[in-house]
Parts: sequence; structure tokens; C-alpha cells
Amino acid sequence: MLHRLRLRNFRCFEALDCPLQGEVTLFAGNNAHGKTTILESICMLLRLQSPRAGTLSEVVRLGEDGFVIEGDFSGRQLMFSLSGQRRQMKVDGDISKNRASYLAETGLVVWMGNDDLALVRGGGDVRRRYMDFAASQIYPGYRNALRAYNRALRARNFLFKRDNRPRWEQIAAYTKLLVKHGTVIAEARADLIAALCPSASHAQSGISGRDESLGLNYLRSGGEDLATAYEQNADQDSRRRQTHIGPHRDDLILEIKGLAAGQFASEGQQRTIALALKLAQAEVLREAKGADPVLLIDDIFGELDQARRNALLTYLPKSSQKLITTTHLDWADDAFLTASQRYLVDGSGVC
Amino acid sequence: MARIDFPEEVKLLIAHLKRLPGVGPKSAERIAVWLIARDGGFSDDLAKAIMLSGEVIKDCRICGFFESSVIGCELCADLQRDTTMICVVEQPTDVLPLERTGAFKGSYHCLGGRIAPLDDIAPEDLRIDSLVSRIAGGCVSEVILGVGSDVEGEATANYLAELLATGFPDLTVTRLAQGLPAGGGLDNADELTLYRALDGRRRL
Repeated sequence: MLHRLRLRNFRCFEALDCPLQGEVTLFAGNNAHGKTTILESICMLLRLQSPRAGTLSEVVRLGEDGFVIEGDFSGRQLMFSLSGQRRQMKVDGDISKNRASYLAETGLVVWMGNDDLALVRGGGDVRRRYMDFAASQIYPGYRNALRAYNRALRARNFLFKRDNRPRWEQIAAYTKLLVKHGTVIAEARADLIAALCPSASHAQSGISGRDESLGLNYLRSGGEDLATAYEQNADQDSRRRQTHIGPHRDDLILEIKGLAAGQFASEGQQRTIALALKLAQAEVLREAKGADPVLLIDDIFGELDQARRNALLTYLPKSSQKLITTTHLDWADDAFLTASQRYLVDGSGVC
Repeated sequence: MARIDFPEEVKLLIAHLKRLPGVGPKSAERIAVWLIARDGGFSDDLAKAIMLSGEVIKDCRICGFFESSVIGCELCADLQRDTTMICVVEQPTDVLPLERTGAFKGSYHCLGGRIAPLDDIAPEDLRIDSLVSRIAGGCVSEVILGVGSDVEGEATANYLAELLATGFPDLTVTRLAQGLPAGGGLDNADELTLYRALDGRRRL
């Protein structure tokens, strides 16, 4: 549970100090006033990565050269800062020597936003990011395997592009790394999807109010045996001058009643699927780690019809802390409003 | 009114110091000012030491370690060393921590870097040929790959392992183990270290 959030030079906020209490906190305000920024900062404090920015320097307030995010999370004082090019993480005032040791002390996060629709409609990269974000919170070694895999992949692709006649001995050295790290990634993802499937299907039926079975399947572009797959595709890789199988091309197949969700599901069904995937993520994280994830819910209530909204409100895990942004509060009933902490966000602070 | 800065000579000194590893603009200024204020021939001694080490120290043509034109390569000259074992490391400086352990009595081979296509370092840029000729010419029974455990280090290890396995089928090729730091409890190790330690566990 996050009890307090303090920001300095983070996007539009020069300084922000925001005590948090209770299970639900609502951040209301107009567009472009910093609501999502608050959720983004929490995501970065707890997971060291932003759901929307590509690089750390993007979130620094214009004209400044660094930011500070501090939070009081379940009795620990967390701090994540960037100063020039130097980033620093602290837990209770002690500097963490690397990302892994910091992340071991922080909490779990599920991000729910309007972009989630892209999980159903968008390309495989969106679904891979979804799997990676969840898996790196559950499996030790996943994050590192992913970084190593991507670095080895860049080097292997570079070798194909650089030489007209591929230098196979060097390529083989990197292929071995792809097999080693790729296997860790693919096995963790397959395990994750197997765990997600029942919860996602359950949430799908619950929110839609109909018996809609949601199927999740992990599609491995290279099959189960990566070593053989890279070997068999070596010629094609060499012709196309890049590695075209492996976890970086794998996908998560979503089916509703046995049909491809991206093509056949209605708009409303697709929105429900996106929610179901995120709710299932929350449940799997809790089961795997024995702790409740923080739910960062960005502006989705305005987009849902009333029936889905109510169903979602009942489906949100009770014990998790929920931080919700919204442009208006018309959708919320009185009981919900009295039980929630409310802030108005106005671009420079909250009140 | 002209803006006052350091005299040209000092600026040149700062510019050179800035190129040293780990020295930023601020440190370069501080070192330069300190050097100037210092008398008693310190700068002369420093300049001489730099010149002398530049003249005298070369890379050993056999093992890649520091070779002095006065006493030669200490590693290659040491007849007590077990020449049937070669530990392959990236840089000559990697030899020193291994030597301090006192546990390894074999010989060394410093590659001078690691294979990193993204940084434009190919196998030909490293001392791999001389490693191969050392093995071909001697009675080496084991090669220990002591290169780093990052992606490039691992790729270099894979490359060498394959190369040596094809060229010398009877040669044993091993890799340094990874795992828990000595003398530390489990609670001090981060997840990744523990994960690797579990992966590399062995039977007692």
C-alpha cells in the first residue's frame, strides 16, 4: 500500500506532495492536467519503468535536469531519482546497488488504461509487452533474460546486416545466447499464460454478464525447441538479414468462443477482454507473490457502459489499493464516492 | 570586456586530463590546478613515469599480459607455472585479482577485449590466433574461460568454446562458476544471483 507520494520536477509538476489513504483514491480533473502523470510516477517508483515514456529523460520537467519520486510504500521509504544521466534508487535511505535489488523491495503493479484495447486490436508487440511486464514481476531472472536476449538479438541481426557473407561462427555464438535466454523467456511466458487463462475467462464472463469463454494461447514462433528452430531457419535469417523467429516474434492468441478476438469480437467485447486480461494479471500476481498489486486505473470508467462499469467495480480486487483517474465523476454512485479519497488535479498540484 | 578563462597552456592540460578514464571536466580542472600549484618536481616525476611506462611496457606477444622491456613478461618467464592449464581473460588487469587468490597456478591468456559486433570488435581484433597456436604448440589439457558474464562475454565464451572444440577435440574447456558470494548469507544475495546459484548447484 502506497501511503504517500512526493514528486519533484516530474513532467508538469514542479513539486507535489500527496498523502494517500484508503483502498480507493480518485484523481479528477480536466484533460492535460497531470492525472495520468501521477499514475505514471507511481508505476516508475514501484517498477522503474514508465507505461508511456520510452526513455527516463522524457519525464523530466522542461528546463530541469532531473526528477525525484519518493513514496512511503508499506512502511518502506522508496526513492527513485534521475540527475543528469545518473539514476539512483534508495530503500529506507540506503542506495540500491542495482535494479534487481531495488525491485525486490518494492510492490507489484497492474496498469489499466484506454490503450489496453490495443492488446486485442494491436500488433504482437503490445501483447509481448503485457506478458513481459507481468512475467518480470513474477519470475526471478526474467527481466535479466529479456535484456540479455534483446542485446544478443541486436548483435546477431547486426552481424547479418554487416557482412555480405554471414560469419556463421560469430552468429552461432549469439544464437546460443538466444537459445539460453529465449528458453527462460518462453517457458516463463507459457507458465504465465496457463495461470492467466482461468482468471481471464472468469473475469470475461463476469463483466460481460454472458457465458463468453475467453481463450489464451501462447504462440511460439519457433516451436518448443529453439535450438533446432534457429538452425532450421538459418538460411532464411541470412536471406532476410535478420532473426525472424524466437520470443521476440512470439504472440499471445486471444479467442472468444473459439474465434480470433481481434477480428470477430465486437467493440464492447474487445474492451471487456482488455479489462479481463488486466484483472487476471492482478490475480495471478497476488497468487504468485502473496501480495496485493497496486492497481493504476487510467481514465477507463468514462469509456465503459454502465453495466460493464458496475461489473468492473465489483470485480476489482477488494484488498488491492486502487488509484483511479477520471475526467468526471458522474459514473460513480454516492456510496463509492464516500468510501473513496478524492483529489482534484489542476496541472500544478492536487487539492 | 573580455571573459577571463584559464591561460591556454592550462586549458590544454585540462583537455588532456579530461580524456583520462573516469575524469570529468570538473575533476580535470581540479587536477590541473593542483598540479600547477605543486612544486618539488612532482610534475616532472609524473611526466617521467608516464613516459617510461609508455616506452617500457608492451603487451606480451605470447600471452597478452604486460611485458616490460627490462624484465620481460613475468608470467611467461615463470617456470613454476603449470603450462597445461590456460585461463583466458579479457584484459591484462583481470589476471591480478585471479593471482591474488593464489588458487590458480596455471598460465594466462589475455584476449585484449571481447567479441562485440555492436562496438565493432571482431574476433580478428583479439588475441585468438596466438591462443590457438599456444594450444597447438604445447601440451595444454585444459582451457578455463574467465571472460565476463555479460552478453558479450558469454558470446566470446561460446565462440571460443566452439572454436577450441572443433580444433582440439581432446582439450577440456571449462567456464568460471557463478553464484553466491563467499561468506554471505542468502538474505544478502539479490534474486538474480540466487537464481544463477540455483542453476549452477552441484552435488555434495
